[in-house]
Amino acid sequence: MVEPAIALFGGAYEKASHVLEELLRETGARYVLLLDRKGFVLAHKEALWAPRPPALDSLATLIAGNAAATQALAKMLGEPRFNELLHQGATYGLYAEEVGDLALLVIIFDNTAPVGRVKLFGKRAVQSLEVITKEALVEPGTLGIDREYHAGASALLDELFGS
Amino acid sequence: MSTINFAAREINFKIVYYGPGMSGKTTNLKWVFQQVPQNRKGEMVSLATEDERTLFFDFLPVDLGEVKGFKTRFHLYTVPGQVFYNASRKLILRGVDGIVFVADSAPNRLRANAESMRNLRENLAEYGIKLEDIPLVLQANKRDAPDALPVEMIQAVIDPEMRLPIFEAIATNGIGVFETLKAVSRQVLARVASAG
Ligand SMILES: Nc1nc2c(ncn2[C@@H]2O[C@H](COP(=O)(O)OP(=O)(O)OP(=O)(O)O)[C@@H](O)[C@H]2O)c(=O)[nH]1
Ligand SMILES: [Mg+2]
Repeated sequence: MVEPAIALFGGAYEKASHVLEELLRETGARYVLLLDRKGFVLAHKEALWAPRPPALDSLATLIAGNAAATQALAKMLGEPRFNELLHQGATYGLYAEEVGDLALLVIIFDNTAPVGRVKLFGKRAVQSLEVITKEALVEPGTLGIDREYHAGASALLDELFGS
Repeated sequence: MSTINFAAREINFKIVYYGPGMSGKTTNLKWVFQQVPQNRKGEMVSLATEDERTLFFDFLPVDLGEVKGFKTRFHLYTVPGQVFYNASRKLILRGVDGIVFVADSAPNRLRANAESMRNLRENLAEYGIKLEDIPLVLQANKRDAPDALPVEMIQAVIDPEMRLPIFEAIATNGIGVFETLKAVSRQVLARVASAG
Protein backbone atom coordinates (compact mmCIF):
# COMPACT_ATOMS: atom_id res chain seq x y z
CA MET A 1 0.00 0.00 0.00
CA VAL A 2 1.12 3.56 -0.49
CA GLU A 3 0.76 4.41 3.14
CA PRO A 4 3.86 3.63 5.17
CA ALA A 5 3.33 1.61 8.32
CA ILE A 6 4.42 2.26 11.85
CA ALA A 7 6.37 -0.70 13.18
CA LEU A 8 6.63 -0.02 16.85
CA PHE A 9 9.02 -2.45 18.45
CA GLY A 10 12.25 -2.66 20.40
CA GLY A 11 13.55 0.71 21.52
CA ALA A 12 10.77 2.71 19.86
CA TYR A 13 8.13 0.67 21.64
CA GLU A 14 9.92 1.06 24.99
CA LYS A 15 10.10 4.81 24.48
CA ALA A 16 6.45 5.10 23.50
CA SER A 17 5.42 2.95 26.48
CA HIS A 18 7.40 5.17 28.75
CA VAL A 19 5.67 8.29 27.43
CA LEU A 20 2.27 6.64 27.91
CA GLU A 21 3.12 5.60 31.46
CA GLU A 22 4.24 9.11 32.36
CA LEU A 23 1.08 10.47 30.82
CA LEU A 24 -1.10 8.18 32.96
CA ARG A 25 0.70 9.34 36.06
CA GLU A 26 0.62 13.03 35.20
CA THR A 27 -3.04 13.15 34.22
CA GLY A 28 -4.55 10.61 36.60
CA ALA A 29 -6.33 9.10 33.59
CA ARG A 30 -7.56 5.49 33.43
CA TYR A 31 -6.29 4.35 30.06
CA VAL A 32 -4.04 5.78 27.39
CA LEU A 33 -3.65 4.35 23.91
CA LEU A 34 -1.54 4.98 20.87
CA LEU A 35 -3.40 3.99 17.69
CA ASP A 36 -2.64 4.11 14.04
CA ARG A 37 -5.15 5.95 11.85
CA LYS A 38 -6.66 2.71 10.68
CA GLY A 39 -7.78 1.94 14.20
CA PHE A 40 -5.18 -0.60 15.26
CA VAL A 41 -3.73 -0.38 18.75
CA LEU A 42 0.03 0.20 18.69
CA ALA A 43 0.54 0.50 22.45
CA HIS A 44 -1.60 1.02 25.53
CA LYS A 45 -1.31 1.47 29.27
CA GLU A 46 -3.85 1.15 32.05
CA ALA A 47 -3.74 2.71 35.49
CA LEU A 48 -3.24 0.05 38.17
CA TRP A 49 -6.38 1.14 39.98
CA ALA A 50 -8.60 1.20 36.88
CA PRO A 51 -11.09 -1.60 36.17
CA ARG A 52 -10.60 -3.71 33.06
CA PRO A 53 -11.08 -1.53 29.97
CA PRO A 54 -13.78 -2.28 27.39
CA ALA A 55 -12.73 -4.13 24.20
CA LEU A 56 -9.77 -2.11 23.00
CA ASP A 57 -10.16 -3.30 19.41
CA SER A 58 -13.64 -1.86 19.10
CA LEU A 59 -12.71 1.25 21.00
CA ALA A 60 -9.78 1.92 18.69
CA THR A 61 -11.89 1.40 15.58
CA LEU A 62 -14.57 3.82 16.71
CA ILE A 63 -12.09 6.47 17.74
CA ALA A 64 -10.17 6.24 14.49
CA GLY A 65 -13.45 6.43 12.53
CA ASN A 66 -14.57 9.36 14.60
CA ALA A 67 -11.24 11.16 14.12
CA ALA A 68 -11.31 10.52 10.38
CA ALA A 69 -14.84 11.92 10.17
CA THR A 70 -13.84 14.97 12.21
CA GLN A 71 -10.90 15.71 9.93
CA ALA A 72 -13.09 15.25 6.86
CA LEU A 73 -15.47 17.82 8.34
CA ALA A 74 -12.59 20.24 8.92
CA LYS A 75 -11.53 19.91 5.30
CA MET A 76 -15.06 20.55 4.07
CA LEU A 77 -15.07 23.77 6.06
CA GLY A 78 -11.76 24.79 4.54
CA GLU A 79 -9.88 24.18 7.77
CA PRO A 80 -6.63 22.20 7.41
CA ARG A 81 -7.45 20.30 10.59
CA PHE A 82 -9.34 20.41 13.86
CA ASN A 83 -6.95 20.21 16.73
CA GLU A 84 -8.37 17.65 19.06
CA LEU A 85 -11.38 15.64 19.97
CA LEU A 86 -12.91 15.89 23.40
CA HIS A 87 -15.98 14.06 24.63
CA GLN A 88 -17.20 14.53 28.17
CA GLY A 89 -20.03 12.92 30.02
CA ALA A 90 -21.09 12.98 33.67
CA THR A 91 -18.45 10.43 34.69
CA TYR A 92 -16.14 9.73 31.77
CA GLY A 93 -14.20 11.73 29.29
CA LEU A 94 -12.31 10.86 26.15
CA TYR A 95 -9.61 12.96 24.60
CA ALA A 96 -7.97 12.20 21.26
CA GLU A 97 -5.24 14.07 19.48
CA GLU A 98 -3.40 13.48 16.23
CA VAL A 99 0.17 12.26 16.43
CA GLY A 100 1.59 13.28 13.07
CA ASP A 101 -0.19 11.92 10.02
CA LEU A 102 -0.30 8.31 10.99
CA ALA A 103 -1.17 7.93 14.65
CA LEU A 104 -3.58 9.05 17.36
CA LEU A 105 -3.18 9.47 21.08
CA VAL A 106 -6.23 8.62 23.16
CA ILE A 107 -6.74 9.39 26.83
CA ILE A 108 -9.72 8.00 28.68
CA PHE A 109 -10.31 9.55 32.09
CA ASP A 110 -12.98 9.90 34.75
CA ASN A 111 -14.10 12.94 36.68
CA THR A 112 -11.23 12.64 39.18
CA ALA A 113 -8.84 13.79 36.44
CA PRO A 114 -9.00 17.50 35.62
CA VAL A 115 -9.59 18.07 31.89
CA GLY A 116 -7.04 20.87 31.86
CA ARG A 117 -4.31 18.47 32.93
CA VAL A 118 -5.43 15.87 30.43
CA LYS A 119 -5.14 18.38 27.60
CA LEU A 120 -1.91 19.94 28.76
CA PHE A 121 -0.03 16.70 29.31
CA GLY A 122 -1.75 15.12 26.32
CA LYS A 123 -0.32 17.77 24.03
CA ARG A 124 3.11 17.37 25.56
CA ALA A 125 3.02 13.61 25.09
CA VAL A 126 2.00 14.10 21.47
CA GLN A 127 5.22 15.99 20.80
CA SER A 128 7.37 13.13 22.08
CA LEU A 129 5.24 10.48 20.42
CA GLU A 130 5.40 12.26 17.10
CA VAL A 131 9.19 11.94 17.07
CA ILE A 132 9.07 8.31 18.17
CA THR A 133 6.48 7.24 15.60
CA LYS A 134 8.30 9.07 12.81
CA GLU A 135 11.42 7.11 13.61
CA ALA A 136 9.43 3.90 13.62
CA LEU A 137 8.12 4.37 10.07
CA VAL A 138 8.84 1.64 7.63
CA GLU A 139 8.26 1.66 3.93
CA PRO A 140 5.75 -0.87 2.65
CA GLY A 141 7.30 -4.05 1.47
CA THR A 142 10.20 -4.06 3.88
CA LEU A 143 8.45 -5.75 6.75
CA GLY A 144 9.64 -9.17 5.76
CA ILE A 145 6.88 -11.66 6.26
CA ASP A 146 8.24 -14.78 4.68
CA ARG A 147 6.87 -17.78 2.86
CA GLU A 148 6.89 -19.88 5.97
CA TYR A 149 4.57 -17.41 7.69
CA HIS A 150 2.34 -17.43 4.65
CA ALA A 151 2.06 -21.22 4.60
CA GLY A 152 1.25 -21.31 8.31
CA ALA A 153 -1.39 -18.62 8.01
CA SER A 154 -2.95 -20.37 5.01
CA ALA A 155 -3.35 -23.59 6.99
CA LEU A 156 -5.10 -21.67 9.74
CA LEU A 157 -7.48 -20.15 7.18
CA ASP A 158 -8.58 -23.64 6.22
CA GLU A 159 -9.02 -24.59 9.84
CA LEU A 160 -11.12 -21.55 10.72
CA PHE A 161 -13.15 -21.05 7.55
CA GLY A 162 -13.30 -24.67 6.36
CA SER A 163 -11.41 -26.12 3.40
CA MET B 1 -0.54 -1.77 4.47
CA SER B 2 -0.89 -4.35 7.21
CA THR B 3 -0.10 -3.21 10.72
CA ILE B 4 2.56 -5.22 12.46
CA ASN B 5 2.74 -4.76 16.19
CA PHE B 6 6.01 -6.39 17.10
CA ALA B 7 5.61 -5.55 20.75
CA ALA B 8 2.35 -7.43 21.09
CA ARG B 9 3.54 -9.83 18.36
CA GLU B 10 0.46 -9.21 16.24
CA ILE B 11 -0.08 -8.83 12.53
CA ASN B 12 -3.32 -7.14 11.55
CA PHE B 13 -5.00 -6.97 8.18
CA LYS B 14 -7.91 -4.80 7.13
CA ILE B 15 -10.51 -6.27 4.81
CA VAL B 16 -13.37 -4.13 3.54
CA TYR B 17 -16.71 -5.34 2.17
CA TYR B 18 -17.78 -2.95 -0.58
CA GLY B 19 -20.78 -2.87 -2.90
CA PRO B 20 -24.13 -1.19 -3.56
CA GLY B 21 -26.74 -0.58 -0.88
CA MET B 22 -28.66 -3.67 0.30
CA SER B 23 -26.39 -6.11 -1.54
CA GLY B 24 -25.74 -8.07 1.67
CA LYS B 25 -22.42 -6.78 3.05
CA THR B 26 -23.62 -6.57 6.63
CA THR B 27 -25.28 -9.97 6.24
CA ASN B 28 -21.89 -11.47 5.29
CA LEU B 29 -20.32 -10.10 8.46
CA LYS B 30 -23.21 -11.25 10.62
CA TRP B 31 -22.79 -14.77 9.33
CA VAL B 32 -19.08 -14.76 10.06
CA PHE B 33 -19.81 -13.43 13.53
CA GLN B 34 -22.36 -16.19 14.17
CA GLN B 35 -20.14 -19.00 12.96
CA VAL B 36 -16.68 -18.17 14.24
CA PRO B 37 -16.04 -19.66 17.70
CA GLN B 38 -16.18 -17.30 20.66
CA ASN B 39 -12.44 -17.37 21.35
CA ARG B 40 -11.60 -16.40 17.78
CA LYS B 41 -13.61 -13.23 17.46
CA GLY B 42 -14.15 -9.89 19.17
CA GLU B 43 -17.29 -7.83 19.46
CA MET B 44 -19.16 -6.86 16.33
CA VAL B 45 -19.72 -3.13 16.15
CA SER B 46 -22.48 -1.86 13.84
CA LEU B 47 -23.11 1.80 13.24
CA ALA B 48 -26.49 1.60 11.56
CA THR B 49 -29.72 3.54 11.15
CA GLU B 50 -33.03 2.54 12.74
CA ASP B 51 -33.90 0.46 9.70
CA GLU B 52 -30.58 -1.44 9.85
CA ARG B 53 -28.89 0.30 6.95
CA THR B 54 -25.20 0.80 7.58
CA LEU B 55 -24.54 4.43 8.49
CA PHE B 56 -20.78 4.46 8.95
CA PHE B 57 -19.44 0.91 9.15
CA ASP B 58 -19.71 -2.56 10.67
CA PHE B 59 -16.59 -3.95 12.29
CA LEU B 60 -15.65 -7.46 13.31
CA PRO B 61 -12.18 -8.61 14.42
CA VAL B 62 -11.38 -12.26 13.69
CA ASP B 63 -8.37 -14.05 15.13
CA LEU B 64 -6.76 -16.45 12.76
CA GLY B 65 -4.44 -17.81 15.44
CA GLU B 66 -0.73 -17.79 15.94
CA VAL B 67 1.73 -18.18 13.10
CA LYS B 68 5.46 -18.25 13.81
CA GLY B 69 4.86 -16.52 17.11
CA PHE B 70 2.68 -13.80 15.60
CA LYS B 71 -1.00 -13.48 16.40
CA THR B 72 -2.67 -12.91 13.07
CA ARG B 73 -5.87 -10.95 13.02
CA PHE B 74 -8.27 -9.81 10.33
CA HIS B 75 -10.29 -6.69 10.88
CA LEU B 76 -13.42 -6.95 8.76
CA TYR B 77 -15.32 -3.81 7.83
CA THR B 78 -18.37 -3.05 5.72
CA VAL B 79 -19.00 0.31 4.10
CA PRO B 80 -22.41 1.95 3.83
CA GLY B 81 -23.55 1.13 0.30
CA GLN B 82 -26.09 3.90 -0.18
CA VAL B 83 -24.84 6.39 -2.74
CA PHE B 84 -25.12 9.48 -0.55
CA TYR B 85 -22.83 8.07 2.15
CA ASN B 86 -19.75 8.39 -0.03
CA ALA B 87 -17.82 10.60 2.36
CA SER B 88 -17.96 7.93 5.06
CA ARG B 89 -17.33 5.16 2.58
CA LYS B 90 -14.11 6.77 1.50
CA LEU B 91 -12.86 6.99 5.08
CA ILE B 92 -13.32 3.26 5.66
CA LEU B 93 -10.99 2.48 2.76
CA ARG B 94 -8.04 4.06 4.49
CA GLY B 95 -5.27 1.49 4.92
CA VAL B 96 -7.26 -1.32 3.33
CA ASP B 97 -5.39 -4.58 2.61
CA GLY B 98 -8.09 -6.45 0.70
CA ILE B 99 -11.60 -5.94 -0.64
CA VAL B 100 -14.68 -8.11 -1.10
CA PHE B 101 -17.07 -6.61 -3.62
CA VAL B 102 -20.58 -7.84 -2.82
CA ALA B 103 -22.79 -7.54 -5.89
CA ASP B 104 -26.56 -7.99 -5.89
CA SER B 105 -27.89 -10.60 -8.32
CA ALA B 106 -31.27 -8.92 -8.84
CA PRO B 107 -31.76 -7.53 -12.38
CA ASN B 108 -32.82 -4.11 -11.13
CA ARG B 109 -29.52 -3.79 -9.25
CA LEU B 110 -27.23 -4.46 -12.19
CA ARG B 111 -26.61 -0.81 -12.76
CA ALA B 112 -26.09 -0.15 -9.03
CA ASN B 113 -23.39 -2.85 -9.05
CA ALA B 114 -21.60 -1.16 -11.93
CA GLU B 115 -21.84 2.27 -10.32
CA SER B 116 -20.55 1.00 -7.01
CA MET B 117 -17.53 -0.56 -8.72
CA ARG B 118 -16.79 2.70 -10.47
CA ASN B 119 -17.14 4.49 -7.14
CA LEU B 120 -14.69 2.04 -5.56
CA ARG B 121 -12.17 2.77 -8.28
CA GLU B 122 -12.54 6.52 -7.74
CA ASN B 123 -12.29 6.31 -3.97
CA LEU B 124 -9.20 4.10 -4.11
CA ALA B 125 -7.62 6.54 -6.53
CA GLU B 126 -7.88 9.23 -3.88
CA TYR B 127 -5.56 7.13 -1.74
CA GLY B 128 -3.28 6.61 -4.72
CA ILE B 129 -4.30 2.97 -5.10
CA LYS B 130 -5.22 1.34 -8.39
CA LEU B 131 -8.03 -1.18 -8.37
CA GLU B 132 -5.72 -3.60 -10.16
CA ASP B 133 -3.13 -3.35 -7.39
CA ILE B 134 -5.19 -4.48 -4.45
CA PRO B 135 -6.42 -7.97 -3.51
CA LEU B 136 -10.04 -8.00 -4.63
CA VAL B 137 -12.60 -10.78 -4.93
CA LEU B 138 -16.17 -10.58 -6.16
CA GLN B 139 -19.27 -12.09 -4.67
CA ALA B 140 -22.53 -12.48 -6.55
CA ASN B 141 -24.94 -12.49 -3.63
CA LYS B 142 -28.67 -13.23 -3.42
CA ARG B 143 -28.42 -16.19 -5.75
CA ASP B 144 -31.76 -17.30 -4.27
CA ALA B 145 -33.59 -14.35 -5.82
CA PRO B 146 -36.15 -15.83 -8.24
CA ASP B 147 -34.98 -13.68 -11.15
CA ALA B 148 -31.25 -13.76 -10.30
CA LEU B 149 -29.13 -12.81 -13.30
CA PRO B 150 -26.49 -15.20 -14.66
CA VAL B 151 -23.18 -14.70 -12.83
CA GLU B 152 -21.39 -13.95 -16.12
CA MET B 153 -23.71 -11.07 -16.76
CA ILE B 154 -23.02 -9.55 -13.36
CA GLN B 155 -19.29 -10.00 -13.77
CA ALA B 156 -19.42 -8.45 -17.23
CA VAL B 157 -20.51 -5.12 -15.75
CA ILE B 158 -18.22 -5.02 -12.71
CA ASP B 159 -15.19 -6.78 -14.15
CA PRO B 160 -15.43 -6.65 -17.95
CA GLU B 161 -12.03 -8.28 -18.41
CA MET B 162 -13.19 -11.21 -16.28
CA ARG B 163 -9.97 -10.89 -14.34
CA LEU B 164 -11.23 -11.43 -10.79
CA PRO B 165 -12.43 -14.52 -8.91
CA ILE B 166 -16.18 -14.49 -8.34
CA PHE B 167 -18.13 -16.49 -5.74
CA GLU B 168 -21.83 -17.19 -5.71
CA ALA B 169 -23.49 -16.60 -2.38
CA ILE B 170 -26.70 -16.60 -0.39
CA ALA B 171 -25.39 -14.67 2.57
CA THR B 172 -28.55 -15.07 4.62
CA ASN B 173 -27.89 -18.85 4.72
CA GLY B 174 -24.13 -18.49 4.83
CA ILE B 175 -23.67 -20.04 1.42
CA GLY B 176 -20.46 -18.74 -0.15
CA VAL B 177 -19.63 -16.46 2.76
CA PHE B 178 -16.55 -18.27 4.07
CA GLU B 179 -15.34 -19.18 0.57
CA THR B 180 -15.29 -15.50 -0.32
CA LEU B 181 -13.56 -14.44 2.87
CA LYS B 182 -11.00 -17.20 2.55
CA ALA B 183 -10.18 -16.23 -1.02
CA VAL B 184 -9.54 -12.59 -0.17
CA SER B 185 -7.57 -13.49 2.96
CA ARG B 186 -5.34 -15.79 0.95
CA GLN B 187 -4.63 -13.06 -1.57
CA VAL B 188 -3.82 -10.61 1.20
CA LEU B 189 -1.41 -13.06 2.83
CA ALA B 190 0.19 -13.92 -0.49
CA ARG B 191 0.85 -10.26 -1.08
CA VAL B 192 2.63 -9.60 2.19
CA ALA B 193 4.68 -12.75 1.74
CA SER B 194 5.88 -11.70 -1.68
CA ALA B 195 6.48 -8.10 -0.58
CA GLY B 196 8.71 -9.27 2.28
N1 LIG C 1 -32.91 -13.26 -0.39
C1 LIG C 1 -31.76 -12.83 0.08
N2 LIG C 1 -31.71 -11.75 0.87
C2 LIG C 1 -30.50 -11.35 1.33
C3 LIG C 1 -29.31 -12.04 1.01
N3 LIG C 1 -28.28 -11.40 1.61
C4 LIG C 1 -28.83 -10.35 2.27
N4 LIG C 1 -30.16 -10.32 2.10
C5 LIG C 1 -31.11 -9.33 2.66
O1 LIG C 1 -30.90 -8.07 2.02
C6 LIG C 1 -31.15 -7.00 2.93
C7 LIG C 1 -29.95 -6.08 2.97
O2 LIG C 1 -28.83 -6.75 3.52
P1 LIG C 1 -27.64 -6.00 4.24
O3 LIG C 1 -26.63 -7.02 4.58
O4 LIG C 1 -28.14 -5.15 5.33
O5 LIG C 1 -27.14 -5.07 3.04
P2 LIG C 1 -25.91 -4.08 3.02
O6 LIG C 1 -25.15 -4.38 1.79
O7 LIG C 1 -25.19 -4.11 4.29
O8 LIG C 1 -26.67 -2.67 2.84
P3 LIG C 1 -26.14 -1.19 3.23
O9 LIG C 1 -25.75 -1.25 4.65
O10 LIG C 1 -27.26 -0.26 2.98
O11 LIG C 1 -24.99 -0.90 2.32
C8 LIG C 1 -31.45 -7.65 4.28
O12 LIG C 1 -32.83 -7.69 4.45
C9 LIG C 1 -30.88 -9.04 4.13
O13 LIG C 1 -31.56 -9.99 4.93
C10 LIG C 1 -29.40 -13.21 0.17
O14 LIG C 1 -28.41 -13.87 -0.16
N5 LIG C 1 -30.63 -13.54 -0.26
MG1 LIG D 1 -24.74 -2.73 5.70
